[in-house]
Amino acid sequence: MAVLKILGKGAAAAVSSYKLILLIWVTTMVMVFMVALPLRSFLSNIFGNSMAVTRLSDGFDLGLAGDMGKPFVSLLSAVSMGGLLLLLAGFLLYTFFAGGLFASCASGWGRLKMSTFIRESARNFLPFLKIAVLMMLLIAAYTFFIVGIPIIVTMAISGGSKGSSNFIYLFYAIWALGMPVWLFVADASRRWVAATGSGNVFMALSAGFRALKERFWVSYGIVLVILILNASFVFLSIWFTGWSIPEKGGLIFLFFMATQALFIIKLFMKTWRYASVCALASQKK
Amino acid sequence: MKKIFFAVCLYLPVFLSGQLVVDTPLSARLTGYDIDVVLEPVSHIVKGDMTAWWVNNSEKPVVDAMMHMYLNAFSSNMSSFAKGGQWSPAGDEGWGWVKIRSIYDYKGNDLSDSMNFQSPDDGNTHDRTVLQILLPEPVLPGDTLRFSINFESKLPSPIDRTGYADDFHFVAQWFPKFGVYETAGMRQREADGWNCHQFHPNSEFYSNHSVYNVSVTMPEEYVAGSGGMLIEEIFPGDSLKKVVWRAEDIVDFAWTAWPEYKSVTRKWRGVDITLLTTDAGLKKADNQFAAVIYALEYLDERVGPYPWPHLTFVDPPMSGAGAGGMEYTTLFTSAGGGLVPSFLKLAEMTTIHEFGHAYFMGILASNEFEEPWIDEGMNSYWEQRIVDHHYGDGYGLIRLPFIKMSDSDQGRLGYITSPSRSISTNDLPSWLYPHGTYGMMSYDKAAAWLHTLEGLIGTETMDKLFREYYRRWAFRHPSGRDFISVVNDVVREEHGDRFGENMDWFFEQVLYGNEICDYRVAGVTSHKIKSYSGVVEGDSVTYTRSDRTSDTLYISRVSIERLGGVSLPAEVLIGFDDGKELLERWDGKESYKDYEYTGATRVIWVKLDPDDKIDIDVDRINNSWSSTQKFYASRRMTDKFVFLMQLMISMFTL
Repeated sequence: MAVLKILGKGAAAAVSSYKLILLIWVTTMVMVFMVALPLRSFLSNIFGNSMAVTRLSDGFDLGLAGDMGKPFVSLLSAVSMGGLLLLLAGFLLYTFFAGGLFASCASGWGRLKMSTFIRESARNFLPFLKIAVLMMLLIAAYTFFIVGIPIIVTMAISGGSKGSSNFIYLFYAIWALGMPVWLFVADASRRWVAATGSGNVFMALSAGFRALKERFWVSYGIVLVILILNASFVFLSIWFTGWSIPEKGGLIFLFFMATQALFIIKLFMKTWRYASVCALASQKK
Repeated sequence: MKKIFFAVCLYLPVFLSGQLVVDTPLSARLTGYDIDVVLEPVSHIVKGDMTAWWVNNSEKPVVDAMMHMYLNAFSSNMSSFAKGGQWSPAGDEGWGWVKIRSIYDYKGNDLSDSMNFQSPDDGNTHDRTVLQILLPEPVLPGDTLRFSINFESKLPSPIDRTGYADDFHFVAQWFPKFGVYETAGMRQREADGWNCHQFHPNSEFYSNHSVYNVSVTMPEEYVAGSGGMLIEEIFPGDSLKKVVWRAEDIVDFAWTAWPEYKSVTRKWRGVDITLLTTDAGLKKADNQFAAVIYALEYLDERVGPYPWPHLTFVDPPMSGAGAGGMEYTTLFTSAGGGLVPSFLKLAEMTTIHEFGHAYFMGILASNEFEEPWIDEGMNSYWEQRIVDHHYGDGYGLIRLPFIKMSDSDQGRLGYITSPSRSISTNDLPSWLYPHGTYGMMSYDKAAAWLHTLEGLIGTETMDKLFREYYRRWAFRHPSGRDFISVVNDVVREEHGDRFGENMDWFFEQVLYGNEICDYRVAGVTSHKIKSYSGVVEGDSVTYTRSDRTSDTLYISRVSIERLGGVSLPAEVLIGFDDGKELLERWDGKESYKDYEYTGATRVIWVKLDPDDKIDIDVDRINNSWSSTQKFYASRRMTDKFVFLMQLMISMFTL
C-alpha cells in the first residue's frame, strides 16, 4: 500500500514536470539528429535513384553491404562512432538534466521555472557526475561478481563447453533483482545533494545507503515496480519499432511521431522514479 | 575369356569384403583398409596394424604405389602445410606424424627400403606427405596389391582438422592411404598414373571409395564415433574397450573419442543419425537434427538418394574447435552449436554445409586438390539454397527486426567485396590460388555463378541437371569438364538452342575467365514531343503542326550498360506512369543498349535483372532507377535509428 501511495505521488510529480520532460526530449532529439541527418543524406547519396533501397524496407539487408562497397565501411564506422559519441554526450546531458529534475522533485512539484531548472542542473552537475560514475563502477563490479565470475568458473570447469547453462540464468535473475538497490541508492544520493546543496559525494552516497536501510522494502519496492514497467515498455517499444514498416511519406511521419511519443513516455518513467524516491524522502521527513 | 577373368579379378576384393552396411556395392571399391589400432590417450598416439589393398583397374602394369601420409604435414615447420603459415605446434608435444614401422607385400617381401617421399606439387624436399613405394614386381591389370603395414600416428596439437586437446581426440587423415590411380581419359587425363598430391594449407582430399574395417582400442570411459557403422564394442578388461566399425563406399575414414561426449540419436527414413555433442550443445540438439534432416530431404529430392543407413555428426567442444566444420562423408563436424545465439543460423549453416559434402565429394568424389570449386562451390550453392529455403523466409542467416541477411548473399558478399576477385580464374588447383583467394574463389565465386546459372536456366532445369550429374557420376570421380558436359546435355534437352549450341560460353567466362559482371542502368530520359516542328529557312522559321491536338506524346529513352567483361543475357523490366510494365530481353553482348518508347506514357522506373538472377553481378544498386524515389526507406531507417539511440541514451544513464 505504501509503495502504491508513493508511486502515485511520484507519478503526479512527474506529470507536473512535463515542461522539463519536453525540454529534455527536444534537446535529445536535436542532439541525435546531428548524427542521424548526415547518415540519412549518406544513405540517400549511396542509393541515389536506385530501387535497391526497397531492400531496406524491413530492416537493413546486410546483403547490400557488398554492393555499397567502400561507402558501407564509412557508413558502419559513422554509425558506430556516431553512436558512441551520442552515448557519451547523452550521458553527460542526462546527468546535467538529472540535477534540475531532482531539484524540482525535492523542492516543489513542478513549480521550478525553466531558468531555475537550468541553474539547478548546472549547480548539481559535478556532484551528480561523480555519483553517476561511482555508481556505475559499483554496478560494474556487482555485475562482475554476480554474473561474470559464475560464467568464468562454469566455463573453466567445462572447458568452454557450458556457455549458458540453466545454472547461469539463476545468477542473471539475482543480478536483475539486485539492480533496484543500486538505482535507489543513486537516486536517494542525488536527492540528498539536490535537497541540501552539498557537493560532498561520499556523504551523499552515505545518505543514499542510509535511506535504503531505513525503509528497505518500500524503497526497493518502488524502484522494482518502475523498473519492471520500464523494461516491459522498452521491450514493447523495440518490438513496435522493429516490426513497423510504414510505406509512404505520411505514414513515416506518423511513425516518427509515435516513436517520439514513446520516448517522451520513457522520459516520464525515468522522472517518475526520481520523483518517487524524492516523495519517499519527503514522506519520511 | 580374358575380359571375364579381368572382371572377376577386378571385383574379387569387393566380393571378399562382403556387405554389412549397404545392400549392394555402391562403388568399384578399388581400395580397402582393415585397421586394428590402439589409442594411447596420454601420448596421443594411435598405433597398430593395417592391411591395405588396391586393385589395378588399368590395362597396364603398375610399378609403384603412392600413399598419402597426411599427418607428416605436422612433423616439421618446413612441410608445405606448415610453411603456409597456418599451423605451429603447441610446444614440443604438439608435433604430429605418421610413421610406417614395417611394410610387407602379400608375398612377405619387406618393402621398408623401397619407400621414398615425393613432392609432386612444389618440389619441397622437406615435405613428407606423399610416399612412393617401389614394388618388387609390377601389379598386373586386374591384380590386387596388398600391403601389411605396422604404423604409428602421433596426433598434433593444436587441432587443425585433426589432433587432440587434452582428452579430446579427433582422428582424421591418420593412416597411410592410397592415392587415386587414374587411367587415361579419366578426368580428361592423357596417360595412366597416380594422382597423389601433397598436403597444403588450403588443399583438401581425393580418394577412392573404399571399404573400411576399423577396430580401435581405447579407455573404457571414452565415448567414440566414426564414419563407420558400429559393429560391436568389446570389453577386454583393464578398463579398455575395443570399438569395431565398418564403412562401405566412403572416401575417408575419421573417428573421434572424448570422455565428455553426449550422444543423441534420431532416425530419418532408415538412416540412423547420431549427434556427439557437449553439455551446452545438447540444448541445440533439436536444431542441429532439424538442420541435418532439412538437408537430407532437400538433397535427396533434388540431387539423389543418401545411400548409407548411418550418419554421425559432431559438435566439438571449444577446446577442439579446430576440428569443427569438416567432412568425412558419413561423419562430419559442425561448429558452435552450444555457443552461437539461436537467431544467428551459423551452426545450422555449418551443419548443412558439412553434411552436403556427403554428396559433393563424398558420393560425387571430385578431386578437391585440383578442382576445389567442384565440391566447395557446388556444396556452398546447395547449402545456401537449403538455408534460405528453411529459415528466415529467404533470409536464412539472420532475420531480426532491424537486420537481415540471406545465406546466398553472405556467400556473394565474400566474392563481390574481395579486391582480388579478378586476379585469377576459378579453375586453379587449391594450392595455387594467389593472395589468399582460395576460399573466396572456391566457395563464394563458384556458388555465385551457380546461382547465376540457376537464374538463367531456371530452378527446375538446375535440379534436373544435378539429378543427371548424380546419375552419371555417383561413386565415381567427375571433373569440372564432366559437370559441364552434363549441363550442356540437360540444358539442350530442356531449352533446345535457346542458350546456343551449348553452355560453354557461360563457363568460359565465369569458371575459366577472370572478368567481372556488372550491369548498370545508365539513365532514363523522357521528353514531350511537340505537336509542331519548326525548320529554319533563311531568316524565317516555318512551323508545321502535326495532326495531334495536344502535346501528350512522350519519347522515353532507357540506357543500360555492361561495365564488366562478363556478358550474360539479362532481363530489363520497364515501368510506365500508367502502371503498365514491359519486359525486354537483352543478350548482353554489346557493351550498351538503348531502348526508346514513344507514346502517351513516360517511363518512370527501370529494373535490370529484376529478379536478381545474375548473382554474380558485383553491384546491384546500379541495376535500377526510379523517377519517383523519395527515399522512404532511408527516412524510415533514420527514424528508427533516432528512436533507438534515444532509448539507449535513456537506458544507459542512471
